[in-house]
Amino acid sequence: MLTKDLLRVSRAGGGYHPQFAGREHRPLAARVIGTYQGHVGESRGALEEALTELEREADDFKLVRGLAALVDREATFETDAELEPERARRAAFEAAEAVDVVTEDERAMALIRASESLDISADDLETALYADLEERQVLTAVEPRWDPDGLVAQYNLSLAQTALFDATEVRVRSSDPKALISAIKRLRLMYEIRQLEGDVADGADGLSEREVIVTGPTHLFRATRRYGTRFARLLRTVATADAWHLEATIDDRGTEQTLELSDADPIRVPDAEPVAEVSFDSGVEADFAARFSNLDLDWKLIREPEPLATGTRVMIPDFAFEYAHGDFRVYFEIMGFWTPEYVQKKLSQLADLEDVAMLVAVDDSLGVGEEITARDHRAIPYSGTVRVKDVADVLREYERQLVAEDAAQLPDTLQPDDDVITLEALGERHGVSAAALADKATPNHERVGRALVRPAVLESIRDDLEAGMALEDAEKVLEADGLSDASAVLSRLGYRVEWDGLAGGTIVER
Amino acid sequence: MTRVSADDATAIDLRYEDGTIRLDGLEQSPLSPSSLQATLPDLEADPRTDGWRLPAGQYAALRAALDGTTAAIDDHVLDLESVAPLASAYELRDYQQTALETWLATDRWADGPALESVGRAPAGVLELPTGSGKTVIALKAIERLSTPTLVVVPTIDLLEQWQRELEREFGGQIGRFGGGEQRLEPITVSTYDSAYLKADSVGDRFGCVVFDEVHHLGGEGYREIARLLAAPARLGLTATFERPDGAHEVIEDLVGPLVHRVDVDALAGDHLADYDIKRLEVALTTEERNEYERNQDVFTSYLAKSGLDMRSGSDYQELVKRSGNDPEAREALLARQRAREIILSSEAKLEALTEVLADHRDERIIVFTAHNDLAYDVSERFLIPTITHQTGAAERREILERFREGTYTRIATSNVLDEGVDVPDANVAVVLSGSGSEREFTQRLGRILRPNPGGRRAILYEVIAGDTSEERIANRRHE
Repeated sequence: MLTKDLLRVSRAGGGYHPQFAGREHRPLAARVIGTYQGHVGESRGALEEALTELEREADDFKLVRGLAALVDREATFETDAELEPERARRAAFEAAEAVDVVTEDERAMALIRASESLDISADDLETALYADLEERQVLTAVEPRWDPDGLVAQYNLSLAQTALFDATEVRVRSSDPKALISAIKRLRLMYEIRQLEGDVADGADGLSEREVIVTGPTHLFRATRRYGTRFARLLRTVATADAWHLEATIDDRGTEQTLELSDADPIRVPDAEPVAEVSFDSGVEADFAARFSNLDLDWKLIREPEPLATGTRVMIPDFAFEYAHGDFRVYFEIMGFWTPEYVQKKLSQLADLEDVAMLVAVDDSLGVGEEITARDHRAIPYSGTVRVKDVADVLREYERQLVAEDAAQLPDTLQPDDDVITLEALGERHGVSAAALADKATPNHERVGRALVRPAVLESIRDDLEAGMALEDAEKVLEADGLSDASAVLSRLGYRVEWDGLAGGTIVER
Repeated sequence: MTRVSADDATAIDLRYEDGTIRLDGLEQSPLSPSSLQATLPDLEADPRTDGWRLPAGQYAALRAALDGTTAAIDDHVLDLESVAPLASAYELRDYQQTALETWLATDRWADGPALESVGRAPAGVLELPTGSGKTVIALKAIERLSTPTLVVVPTIDLLEQWQRELEREFGGQIGRFGGGEQRLEPITVSTYDSAYLKADSVGDRFGCVVFDEVHHLGGEGYREIARLLAAPARLGLTATFERPDGAHEVIEDLVGPLVHRVDVDALAGDHLADYDIKRLEVALTTEERNEYERNQDVFTSYLAKSGLDMRSGSDYQELVKRSGNDPEAREALLARQRAREIILSSEAKLEALTEVLADHRDERIIVFTAHNDLAYDVSERFLIPTITHQTGAAERREILERFREGTYTRIATSNVLDEGVDVPDANVAVVLSGSGSEREFTQRLGRILRPNPGGRRAILYEVIAGDTSEERIANRRHE
């Protein structure tokens, strides 16, 4: 439930319609959560300013404040001072009384005198004086029970409940009247049953044909809003039914209005036991892992890699990509529905770490992906699912860089002892990828396809081959010299394959 | 429980149910419901339980009405514990005694019924100036009635103060609703907020209810408290009964009429000290002035554009309403608040305060501010203890106690001490940024109107920012 000043209703057309939040408010919900998360370690005053700023950007400050009110319940604020403020005050006031403080000098004198008896610095004493004031307290932790979708859902339930604060009577039809009646009794409300007639009574919509009219004991004497909070609590039971319809008489500052709610509204009662561990993107992650492994990249995907130190804490990224040709990792975090503040904070933490490459996928629904990409190209935007191609593109960038670095470490000229060697094998021998060898001179070898071959070997092969030979036999000749890439060698020697069926064929001159 | 004729099958059965009196058997009794409705218009048939029902607050009237008839009554309404004989050490002053007797004379049950647990049903409001010992009168009233009593007070400060006082005078456990505790005892103190929440579940447990600062009961929600309690004896206490919105008429219905008034003038020189007023006008700093003008401009331009002129309260309501979905209106409202904050906490006021403090170095001084920020500014600048609504109960008690015993000679506070709290004597009061409310002002004055051992005249400084809307407020106050 929210406080009444945060109630959002539209009275358009003489009705009384709660303004539910929808999917389009998910980014705002994310920003509210992120604003809290981004202000861990800062004062409530600073947090309040950020929320006020958010209010300005959003077109509805009540929505911002409503979402914030829900997140605030999950936030912990603590006093941050060298000395317990109440003690600091007592000491300062006593000293001030002795000094009789009026002028600034007298004030300084009193503070010094008080601090000496407490064995702390006068500055620390001054800071401690009112460090326990609400706006000076420090946000130490926020553990929202919801992701942005969950927050929007919680908001909608809270909003509907808040609208019922002003109800003087509610009328309910439900597919579970038994639970309804028992809740009414539990809440010390009273009811009457009215049998409905006509079309509404056929029960086809899964609702009972009987309408339960719920009122408070004193409703007889005057329509009172006293029972509003009980009606609000009743809504939890009502909305738990599969099918339900609720109509409430609202005392809207003296004007009577009718509020209608039903299972068609976005009102969901979260399970009694809220999910403790919020796993935002497990689906997105699993999906990504599956698709990534289908690609044949020079990167190995590692799920839940070793923790990384970030300042005094650790963080476990969702994935790491391990480069196949060397000791290099790119860490990858998929952030669903997070906020620029949060992303920036995380990136800035990571920036402090040496030699850690971090890639962050940011949910595009925030509409800030570009902004973030522009600020830091290690973030990539996504919507719905993370595109493997986007990730692969970034990995290739790293790859190019790695290849260039590897290449720079090797001599410009490579003269292996082997008669025949594949680029892969040679790269491996040097601890680099084949690509790193691309620009190297090989004076003793000719590059044929993916292999280096001494010219003498090529000539000897040439002698062993002749047009009209079965492909199978030709391949045996090549394999005897360690060449597996038949088509490249055949092509180099002026042959092509005339295919016969799927596997077999004959080599012919071009 | 009182059974007038328990075995009579045709007796009218009265029970307390969630803030109402449920009447069963009324139709079988010799009484016609319609004749009862003539004196009790709120008596209603209840289809939900197939009987009749009346707001619990009219229990005294119901019993008075039934008592004059031949009907047999089976009354289970009140469920009162017995109270050990009460005796307080206070001696009433003459004017206090007169007030108490006048109230007792309003007994609605003078001609019966006489219940064992609560013999009388007086109902009325006493208007007495702050500092004239309202609490003492109430203590004596509770002593005289010797029935379980609920005392309802507006603030946590008063809650604690009453609790201490009741414990001291009557001994034993005093119940408490509010400030994080919900404990029911025959004598219980509650805040208005807690009473609103609990009234329908404990409304049968008290024979008497005392509403301190009873004008609060005029608030729309709080009215319910008086309606849900069955307590036949009702006492209201206030320094200012009349409300500009006419809500005091509602209080007459719920608690009873104003039965006695003691004037400040009647007490002045006797129990109250004389005082002088000095008004200090200060100018905003250039920076503050610019900031003030800028914000004021945002506000007035919006008004000009929107056709609101703010001469009436309803225009203000309209602006607040619009601000819900009109960002410009919201911005205008915020600008107005900022402009007000600048005035209310201007730097120059602190300078003026410096001079006042320098002029009264050896005296006992209380500084009032209209909002918390300034109270903390004063506290941090001059290292003066402050009490605001954020101050914890233990600390505020300690500060007041230390001020009382003289460990502290200066104290700063925002609105929280406005009502009824026993503030120790002071000779100098400084009102920084007062607001225009008449009641607020008189009650603030009450703080230094207390007798002063030295017998010297008290002095009140009023520090206001010149050439601003605040000046108009101050003028209104003196009209």
